[in-house]
Amino acid sequence: MTKKVEYWVKIPFGPIHPGLEEPEKFILTLDGERIVSVDVKLGYNLRGIQWIAMRRNYVQIMYLAERICGICSFSHNHTYVRAVEEMAGIEVPERAEYIRVIIGELERIHSHLLNLGVVGHDIGYDTVLHLTWLAREKVMDVLEAITGNRVNYSMMTIGGVRRDIEEKHKRLLLEMIKYYREVLPQIEDVFLHDSTIEARLRDSAIIPRKLAIEMGAVGPTGRGSGVKDDARWSERLGVYPDLGIKPVMPEDVTGEKARGDIYDRMAVRIGELWQSLELIEHALDQMPEGKIKTFPKDNVLVAKLKILGDGEGIGRYEAPRGELVHYVKGKKGRDGPVRWKMREPTFPNIFAIAKGLEGNQLADVVVGIASIDPCLSCTDRVAVIKDGKKFILTEKDLLRLSIKKTREINPDIKGDPTPAGVGCSRGVLL
Amino acid sequence: MSKEEEFVEIVKQKFPDVSVVIKENKWGRKRVWINVPRESFRDFMKFLREYDEDAHYSIAIGEDVGEAIDFSIHFLLKYEDAPAISLIVKTSVPKDDPVLPDISDIFPISLQFEREVMEMIGIDFENAPDKRRLFLPDDFPEGIYPLRLDDKGIPEEMVKNAGHPYLLRRGE
Repeated sequence: MTKKVEYWVKIPFGPIHPGLEEPEKFILTLDGERIVSVDVKLGYNLRGIQWIAMRRNYVQIMYLAERICGICSFSHNHTYVRAVEEMAGIEVPERAEYIRVIIGELERIHSHLLNLGVVGHDIGYDTVLHLTWLAREKVMDVLEAITGNRVNYSMMTIGGVRRDIEEKHKRLLLEMIKYYREVLPQIEDVFLHDSTIEARLRDSAIIPRKLAIEMGAVGPTGRGSGVKDDARWSERLGVYPDLGIKPVMPEDVTGEKARGDIYDRMAVRIGELWQSLELIEHALDQMPEGKIKTFPKDNVLVAKLKILGDGEGIGRYEAPRGELVHYVKGKKGRDGPVRWKMREPTFPNIFAIAKGLEGNQLADVVVGIASIDPCLSCTDRVAVIKDGKKFILTEKDLLRLSIKKTREINPDIKGDPTPAGVGCSRGVLL
Repeated sequence: MSKEEEFVEIVKQKFPDVSVVIKENKWGRKRVWINVPRESFRDFMKFLREYDEDAHYSIAIGEDVGEAIDFSIHFLLKYEDAPAISLIVKTSVPKDDPVLPDISDIFPISLQFEREVMEMIGIDFENAPDKRRLFLPDDFPEGIYPLRLDDKGIPEEMVKNAGHPYLLRRGE
């Protein structure tokens, strides 16, 4: 008689893994190929942004907010600015609201196209990757033409936007919309009607509606599971209600009821691409003339916020990955907020997918995780284990080592890595 | 009667000891701000779950306010049609006894926010099923909470690299 053997294995998946875009760690318990449980460990890119923010003023934090994430830099900035405006009671010119919509939707197009490509790549369908990322270049060029940058656009400011959309930008936008109306049907066709994609993505990594609500899943992940919520719609944000915003559900795209699998999440993204194009078109039509900023100069803004900034404010916005929330609390007479806290859409989504993956195959892990479009950021810590002891190398150590190596390779090097000047004084509470 | 007012009426009947304010911002969005004492915090959460089965827990915020630590949660209620109710529930615990009941059996995602607040601000959540660290590295010293403003916060000597990264000569 054979004895029953317990053959569950635990394998670490990450923090650095070719299947993951960014450092995050999943500890998978496996029964053969079947996943029993998934444990998430975060913090490989913790940069202490909330701690830094206690030492910055309102305008400096706009730059910090933008650098939380490269892909949704506009969303973070937008949400932070909304929270400050609510706290201080600042009104925004109508033209600025329309420009915010246009930039926000451009960002959504580029982010969704990026994710469609990543999912294609993760299932080994690299043609899709090339197709979508080629299409993505167009929107990146438009963003660069309007804002000056491919990422970190710096378009927002408290009480308006920094740059106007002129006639030449308008022409570019219309040309871009025309281009996407030709290209998107191809991409839509691949994701909705290709039998390979359907076989791979249907019924894998299912997040049922109940789980999505329990875990607070947001954005395409939540809507793919049948949770009808879109922060732009449920918040009646800015001019979005005038533009006819409504949540895109899987049944609007596929015609079937939401099943909560990867296929539905991708279908929602396809639907939102079309919706974004429409929103930009409407916004260009309806955009009134007028000024774009309440406060013309940043120093006026800092001085005003010192008086106006009192109380608490919440900002909610639908980032490409889902609902983004920022909380700002100010105190009269202070340059910066007392407390600034943000919640990324990936935070609840990653716990929802970790639960949703249970019972699936190991091969579904990579594409399942990619399907919520995780967005963490870059790490600046390296742990080295030497003689059984762990050392953490900081940025400074790494820099010192790299300078040493450069000197080793080329002893005649002349450059001096120390910069001139004093730089900012940091680490002091405001 | 708007959705917010309806909700506030029910809250006032069920919980006479809470203070409720409806604030409206410049573009006409209303938010309900509720202050709940620690004793009725758990009952209030149970009531929210009953009031709306699909209640969406968006964010938990822990904050050091001097003598006490504030803990607030933002909820989205009744979001089947726009605009939904935006609700902020705030409770406060004294610093010498920073204990709150765990509510992860009512809202499962709250466990992850509780883990974050436990390591960052130092509120202890009674009976939380998982008290491991979430963001901080394992070798981070015990008893130091990065977002505290008092002597339990990060001391000066722990701050490294908080300046221009290339200032090697001065920092050594």
